[in-house]
Amino acid sequence: MTTRTHCPYCSLQCGMTLERQGRSLEVAAWPEFPVNEGALCRKGWTAAGLRGHRERLTTPLVRDEEGGELRAASWDEALDRVAAGLRAAQVAGPDAVAVFGGGGLTNEKAYLLGKLARVALGTSRIDYNGRWCMSSAATAGNQAFGIDRGLPFPLADLEHADVVVLVGSNLAETKPPAARHLDRLREAGGRVVVVDPRRTATADRADLFLQPVPGTDLALALGLLHLLDAAGAVDEEYVAARTTGFADVRRRAASWWPERVERVTGVPVAELRATAELLAGSPRVMVLTARGAEQHSQGTATVLGWINVALALGMPGRAYAGYGCLTGQGNGQGGREHGQKSDQLPGYRMIDDPAAREHVARVWGVAPETLPGKGVSAYELLDSLGRDHGPSALLVFGSNIVVSAPNATRVTERLAALDLLVVADIVLSETAAMADVVLPVTQWAEETGTMTNLEGRVVLRERAVAPPEGVRTDLEVMAGLAARLGSEASFPSDPEEVFAELRRASAGGRADYSGISYDRIRAEHGVFWPCPAPEHPGTPRLFADSFATPDGRARFVDVEHVGAAERPDEAFPVHLTTGRVLAQYQSGAQTRRVRDLPDTGPFVELHPMLADRIGARDGAPVVVTTRRGELKAPARVVSTIRPDTVFVPFHWVGANRLTHDALDPASKMPEFKVCAAAVRA
Amino acid sequence: MSLDERASLDRRVVVVGAGMAAARLADALADAGRHVTLLGDEPHPPYNRILLSAVLEGTHDPAALELGVRDTVDLRLGTRVVDIHREEREVELADRSRVGYDALVLATGAIPTLPPIRGLVRPDGRLHEKVHAFRSLADCERLDAAVGVSTGSTTAGSAVVVGGGLLGLQVARALSVRGLAVEVVEGGEHLLRSQVEERAGRIIARDLTRLGATVYTGARAVRLTEDGLVLDNGYTLETDLVVLTAGDRPSTALARRAGLEVRRGVVVDERLRTSDEHIYAIGDCAQRGGTVTGFVPPAWEQAAVLARHLAGEEASYDPGRHVVRLRATGLDVAVLGDPVHAEGEVVEVTNPVVGSHRRLVVDGGRIVAGTLVGDLSRIGLITQHFDRGTVLGANEPGLLLMPDRATAAAEPQLPDDAEVCSCAGVSAGAVRACASLDEVRATTRATTGCGGCSDAVRRLLDTRSTLLEGTPR
Repeated sequence: MTTRTHCPYCSLQCGMTLERQGRSLEVAAWPEFPVNEGALCRKGWTAAGLRGHRERLTTPLVRDEEGGELRAASWDEALDRVAAGLRAAQVAGPDAVAVFGGGGLTNEKAYLLGKLARVALGTSRIDYNGRWCMSSAATAGNQAFGIDRGLPFPLADLEHADVVVLVGSNLAETKPPAARHLDRLREAGGRVVVVDPRRTATADRADLFLQPVPGTDLALALGLLHLLDAAGAVDEEYVAARTTGFADVRRRAASWWPERVERVTGVPVAELRATAELLAGSPRVMVLTARGAEQHSQGTATVLGWINVALALGMPGRAYAGYGCLTGQGNGQGGREHGQKSDQLPGYRMIDDPAAREHVARVWGVAPETLPGKGVSAYELLDSLGRDHGPSALLVFGSNIVVSAPNATRVTERLAALDLLVVADIVLSETAAMADVVLPVTQWAEETGTMTNLEGRVVLRERAVAPPEGVRTDLEVMAGLAARLGSEASFPSDPEEVFAELRRASAGGRADYSGISYDRIRAEHGVFWPCPAPEHPGTPRLFADSFATPDGRARFVDVEHVGAAERPDEAFPVHLTTGRVLAQYQSGAQTRRVRDLPDTGPFVELHPMLADRIGARDGAPVVVTTRRGELKAPARVVSTIRPDTVFVPFHWVGANRLTHDALDPASKMPEFKVCAAAVRA
Repeated sequence: MSLDERASLDRRVVVVGAGMAAARLADALADAGRHVTLLGDEPHPPYNRILLSAVLEGTHDPAALELGVRDTVDLRLGTRVVDIHREEREVELADRSRVGYDALVLATGAIPTLPPIRGLVRPDGRLHEKVHAFRSLADCERLDAAVGVSTGSTTAGSAVVVGGGLLGLQVARALSVRGLAVEVVEGGEHLLRSQVEERAGRIIARDLTRLGATVYTGARAVRLTEDGLVLDNGYTLETDLVVLTAGDRPSTALARRAGLEVRRGVVVDERLRTSDEHIYAIGDCAQRGGTVTGFVPPAWEQAAVLARHLAGEEASYDPGRHVVRLRATGLDVAVLGDPVHAEGEVVEVTNPVVGSHRRLVVDGGRIVAGTLVGDLSRIGLITQHFDRGTVLGANEPGLLLMPDRATAAAEPQLPDDAEVCSCAGVSAGAVRACASLDEVRATTRATTGCGGCSDAVRRLLDTRSTLLEGTPR
């Protein structure tokens, strides 16, 4: 039997087919799906490797006393224990219970989780790990364009641009099939600019490679805008007709002359000029940011700085040009649209907007005033756990916080301070291992649900096999909890039924799914939101005529480079940056357990000059320390990284014990991508 | 914060000058909600003065120079301050009107010095029509008009730049790029003598000559006549234009008249305060600890410090490390700190044949000064180490001055265990074991991810066929 579905990992949501023959499940290509045209990376090809894994959880686990062992329990016992614990916690008030979701959850799960928090628990304390993914780009997109959709055009549009600028994206390793579009662009004579402190596999495809000091991408954007303005390359007609706010931004850029930018960014003037020249002479420029630009305490400002470059060139809204964010997580896009975010209700409605509350409350059959207000962001939420007036119980769905949170030692301490930690997962992740109750849930291919990929395309993952005995879907778990909590609102556990409710809840919102159905998704290779009616074709491309702001114009936002919250000094003289490797995904809870994916463990990438300075040898252990923690791992001595920077991948426990928890004031994104470190052999 | 200091938040801040330091200060004060008045004698809103040579060169749109100030700043242009009445805490303007202040900031900048050349100034006191200064936007516009467009009728064909310092070299290059025959006259023994050692100066002179200019060092211009500019070595340089870039000095006349302590510049303490507690000075007119900076980054740092101080915060100015960059097409020069006087061990790579010279002064493992001429490929890293005071390893300064090892030209034969496709984790041996691309795809999944290995796989299959068939393709 053949089932069409999508890869369980990143935001490309590559189309694939699953062939079931007896007990075996084989991944095969789905060449017609346009995002990846049958291509997959090794993570996709081996995605079935977790099926039947010996570490797969198939029974709930409970811990009877602090410090005791987890033991198997029945579903009734486990859920009763959870419900009792939640009720006990909420004696102190509804916000004593917190909910933590994930960007890997389907739209249906994300939606129902938000409803569980707001209706069944009445807590404002809900947020999710997507906050640590693309929230800076989301905030910037809302400010500049009035809407937050990762890419405002299909990914394949890359092939028709003249220049694609990738700022802090290593898509050749993090989403390999996307690199095919870059290659076709280059075959057609287009150019690629890559901005990254490391010369990555993506940078190897670049015509121009800029290697700035981590945390200085905004200064680079200001410097490019300066040169573009100096060269008369600003599209004045477009700026006048389609934007507001350029005067302040232009004045700001006037003070970022090339030599000043060189001093701050470490990018030589000659390279800045070459880049500006390339952009100035190209009719279709596409600027794409990813985590490298966004995971900073100035992440929102940095993205806005690059959007300003795109706007000054007159690109957003032009065919095969503009600005986009390459979202990371599988459902990073949809996960932020339907209510897991502390300040949002389904359909990308803001929770403090009375009309939004009214609409969603009506769909949920509750009074608007019963809905809680704005909560706090992911890191702030975790940092408040177990403190005075902070939550004493936490429900976690689809997140491995112990590995993925910044300043992880501190966050782990907060988790330990809880009275009740409940984790729903498919394996005993590092976070589940700390839980009082672990709920075994279905995984990809065992359940149906929709995802929204980085293009805003809503796709359908169909169930291909029966889940193992003893596990439940996340939707069933939520329904079971809501019932035990005595909620009168409906908590359906059939995904298509949940989706139907999500459609109604999103109707009229910024992310309007009301015209999308499972059948349409099957028939149309996915449907792009907004899609406000069944007969609406969906919206593959945004902004052709107007932006989603009240006046229809895009906004230039005046942003200034401030720099990283923590900079190198005598004691911690190098920059530390973090990222992904091809064969692993996020906290590695899935990929580290797939036999055919190499699990190398963490490593420390450093330049030969730095290695020589500290006496490190390739393959021998080195120790990286920051003000927050220490990591010992083998050195990888490579000449592709800046000599003043070390890199550690974050798929294993360790990297995030080092990272800094400074937050972006607008998006609340932690500064994963740069802090000060010391390294010794 | 004391009551006095709290009250200071409501005080009127008046800034004399509307240059880059003044604009920076005004914006910072305006952002903090302070009332601030800028009195500028130029007719233009604040602009980026250091880019004027790029405007002259034609690589920078003059409209993109404007720095401006926040709307809430009281900006008065074309306003000259003639006196400070310290007792009354008022400044007097050219029209005799007065502006009261609680805190006064002098940001009067610098003025070009007129070298002792006879004939520069006409009997009526104005500059000779061929003679140009190059400090303000008005100077730039006047020179630009004199140069004209290359096809225009008013085109000047030649220019002599007096002064071989930073500004002189930038102007010289700009005029060369505009198509003029340019000669540079420098009184010292080498170019950029305030910044670099002689060897570097000589290489810069060679570079400049290679780019088409003529350089006279150790020669002074003494007289401007109908025949041209006469040098003390006996040469007479026929020329349409004479541009004076031989230095400037802090503009201190106002401070002097007001009786403030002035040496080379207006003397200030670490809080930028002059000898009058109500009067401050920042930028090119100020002198702190014996030095007048003359560059924008320290002037902006001073503006930031003063803004904090005026807001009642603790802040003091600590002159940091300087990097000076020459801004001229085809002439790549960077100077870190003071390489002429800095003490330490010198690591140097010089290749006069290609016009490159790189020199680092290292003390205790730290780069304390440096000169880079010609090859600036590593500047982004070297200045980072310099600015951060990074303690380098013994080999590092040398490595920083050597080019990256050239990548091997020929592709070596891949060993069987070398990874060819990282997406699918496929080795060269596994590809060689296949007969065709289809077989590679089906059995190894190489090329089915990002597609980046397609070429390598094809080459591996080709070599295999060559081996099998025994005939080259």
